[in-house]
Amino acid sequence: MSHPSFWQTDISIRGERTIHRRQLLRLATSLSSAGIMSFPALVAQGAKQLKRKGKSCILLWMQGGPSQFETFSPKPSHSNGGDTKAIATQVPGIEIAETLPQISTVMQDVCLIRSMNSKEGSHPRAQSLLHTGYLPTASVQFPTLGSHVAHQLGDGADELPNFVRIGRVGRGGSGGGLLGVTYDPFVMSDASRMPENTTLATTDRRYRRRLKLRNQLESQFAKRGARQEVENQKELYAKSSRMILSPRMDAFDISQEPKSMQTAYGDTAFGKGCLLARRLLESGVTFVEVAAGNWDTHFDNSSRSQSLCQQIDQPYAQLLKDLKQRGVLEKTLVIWMGEFGRTPRINPRGGRDHFPRAFNVALSGAGIRGGQVIGRTNESGTGVIDRPISVSDLFQTFCRALEIDADHENLSGIGRPIKIVDGGTSIDEAFS
Amino acid sequence: MLRLFICLNISLLLTGYGVAAQPTSEEAAAQIDRQLSEELATASTAGLAPRANDATFLRRAFLDLLGELPHEEDTLAFLLDDAPTKRQKLIAGLLQDPVFGLHWGRYWRDVILYRRTEPRAILSSEALTQFLKVKINGGTSWDALARHFITANGDVRQNGATGLIMAHGGRPEETVAELSRIFMGIQIQCAQCHDHPSDRWKREQFHQLAAFFPRVAIRPQRNGNERTFLVEGRDTFPRRRRMNNNRYVGTAEHRMPNLEHPEQPGTLSQPVFFVNGKQLSLGADDTARREQLAQWMTATENPWFAAAVVNRMWAELVGQGFYEPVDDLGPDRQCAAPQTMNYLVTAFQDNDHDLKWLFRTIMSTAAYQRESRSRPASETAPFLANRPQRLRADTLFNTLSESLGIPERLQRNNGGRARRSPRRLFNSTFGYDPSISRDSISGSVQQTLLMMNSQIVNSAIQARSGTQLGQLLRQIQDNRRLLLTLYLRTLSRQPTSTEEKICLGYLTESTSREEAFEDILWSLVNSTEFLHRN
Repeated sequence: MSHPSFWQTDISIRGERTIHRRQLLRLATSLSSAGIMSFPALVAQGAKQLKRKGKSCILLWMQGGPSQFETFSPKPSHSNGGDTKAIATQVPGIEIAETLPQISTVMQDVCLIRSMNSKEGSHPRAQSLLHTGYLPTASVQFPTLGSHVAHQLGDGADELPNFVRIGRVGRGGSGGGLLGVTYDPFVMSDASRMPENTTLATTDRRYRRRLKLRNQLESQFAKRGARQEVENQKELYAKSSRMILSPRMDAFDISQEPKSMQTAYGDTAFGKGCLLARRLLESGVTFVEVAAGNWDTHFDNSSRSQSLCQQIDQPYAQLLKDLKQRGVLEKTLVIWMGEFGRTPRINPRGGRDHFPRAFNVALSGAGIRGGQVIGRTNESGTGVIDRPISVSDLFQTFCRALEIDADHENLSGIGRPIKIVDGGTSIDEAFS
Repeated sequence: MLRLFICLNISLLLTGYGVAAQPTSEEAAAQIDRQLSEELATASTAGLAPRANDATFLRRAFLDLLGELPHEEDTLAFLLDDAPTKRQKLIAGLLQDPVFGLHWGRYWRDVILYRRTEPRAILSSEALTQFLKVKINGGTSWDALARHFITANGDVRQNGATGLIMAHGGRPEETVAELSRIFMGIQIQCAQCHDHPSDRWKREQFHQLAAFFPRVAIRPQRNGNERTFLVEGRDTFPRRRRMNNNRYVGTAEHRMPNLEHPEQPGTLSQPVFFVNGKQLSLGADDTARREQLAQWMTATENPWFAAAVVNRMWAELVGQGFYEPVDDLGPDRQCAAPQTMNYLVTAFQDNDHDLKWLFRTIMSTAAYQRESRSRPASETAPFLANRPQRLRADTLFNTLSESLGIPERLQRNNGGRARRSPRRLFNSTFGYDPSISRDSISGSVQQTLLMMNSQIVNSAIQARSGTQLGQLLRQIQDNRRLLLTLYLRTLSRQPTSTEEKICLGYLTESTSREEAFEDILWSLVNSTEFLHRN
């Protein structure tokens, strides 16, 4: 509910991770006396989590609105296309911008939508639209995609969060909304560090003593009438402790990956984010959002887009390869998108402005048939001329791929039923 | 429609109960308690909570009026005072404190900005808080305050009254929906797209309300490096393309979209106020439209205007609204105690919509002054007890800052880049929309992690020379005295004998006095009681 997180800024407090696995085991066992789950229970829960069959999702969020001309819809034969050239891909007949050479080698796993369109050209409102499927309204706080997926597919009792967001997502990224803070993203500003406040501030023994003292003192307040509040906080402290003491917190530590794997994802913030996303998914996290940007190239679009593409090309391609190699791509939906596209006309500062009328989204995995293009724009790129896809259609497609009932209704604060997706039809031909 | 309006009005007018035309807070409070007990037949109910003790009342009053904890000296002085009128005196004193306006300014800022549909409205946050603070402290009546919001023009960083319009980028539908929700508790926006079967307002009526706002636009401005927006109502309309759905220019008239054919211009809507059925003609200028709406909406004849704020303040203070959620009133909703509420609404109107009078009155009732109890899953009657309420983020930061000595601003990093203020950190982690039912607000793991493990909390509870605890450990050698001080600073009360036993026992088991008190302080700020206003 905070959703609607009011001050969308990153938590700046950091700590070194000092606790080791052996300590964790000892601590986990001793904590059972303080009302926290015992180690055998922890292990049992972990095992259950690893067996989970459901689908999961990675959203690669291109903050600021990437230019379609410099990514997936090059128009080298038209002046609107600028100086960006097209290259062939692994899939005959599909060409993408020369800025994405690595992606071109995994095109057989990518379903490219070139006919996305909306009317919303303001960043935060369009970010909301592409994150929630709805334009923002004051009366309903729509949950973001990750919150829906966590709500529908996640295991609420799991030690690890169901929904992790890595990097800077704009103000319209939204949170759990009407689903409540339980479904807010667990936010990380930096994939190369453990998440904020998950490191104990004291020794394990002292932490255990503190918790015990806290619990003893709580009983007095409960007796004086706040029984329910005390109970709720007790559950929350136990849940938080289970998380930070869990051996599975290792999932957040990408330095445990083999060097070769770290190199394959690349030494950029986005590369580390993608690697972390894969690790988290493997540990049972249901939804991970990784942000890259800023793609808001109002000036020097060509050179800036080029450098941005360089940042995402290798990690994105490696992520698809890695997921496929591990045999999990078929149950993982990978979405690449931003809030809108950019104007066909190049402005006097060499930039492109906001353009919601035609933009790209790329999908992979979870039953999506790769190696195809959906929709088409005209020669100059100023409009969609074939198979226009709306944001509702896109969200219907997400739901279908993830096996979520798009008609599922959640109640707003005043008891109004709100569907996960309102209207739209899933893109049939996107599925194999 | 008109008949309905008359009925509502009469029911309000008939509930005078022979009290003076302008009842004082004390008279009104006594009448409310009598009325409530009669209406709900609660006198004989077993679950009626007793009057809260002085320490509980003191902390509650400070948190409710100032969003801060009483200082140790305040607490001791209040507990030692044996004047029978000391609670009244305390309330009156706190209402004069300038922090009162700041605290409630932040509250209303959150009410407005949590529902913003124009995220850039965050730019107006500071001005909005300041505007509210000044008006509330100065005793501006609620109807005047509402009129400011409806008719505001100007730079959103300068004139905070523009905050509500800016929150919705000047878009007429969203703006009037929020005006209706916040100032009348009527969620007419449900009728934006369709006629709702269970509500009486029609889609056409919603768009007639939006027709008071089409000429308002939000123009982007740049003052040097600073980006801002200008809210302005203009009656000339340059032929400019609407940029990406932004409302940088207004339109002469509002049109109700054609749902079947959204590409068509839609039906021209005339400004008509759905509550009283009065209308303006097409072509009226912006000033006429907004001034007129402001007048009709805030008139005493509009029963919902006073009812909405009375209901909201009652819910905030007593822990439970007459109507719930607090912003969903209207003729088709259930009121927990209609006669009592009508009485309070009328008395508030008779006192010229004076907010301070409203606070004084509600806080003088026995209903407010009862002990707090968790709200049961199913309750026999409402208002049997006050409710423990989770502190809002600003208040939590205040209490933590006072208890531990955390500064409002952190020093700059070596590089000179300002670090994020701790208040903003707490706002982003603990903030919630104040219009949401308190029952549906839950805590999060990230909140708990912040309280347990963050550097900001843990460095402040260390027994170092630079911290409050470090000083206290040196100044106070007696452990029981020190424990009392820590309890007073965090929970504004003495420890119970059981708590004292637990803590003193903890001391003997610990390796050092410093470590033991660090742990005790950690436990206190991590307690449920600290997080709540009881």
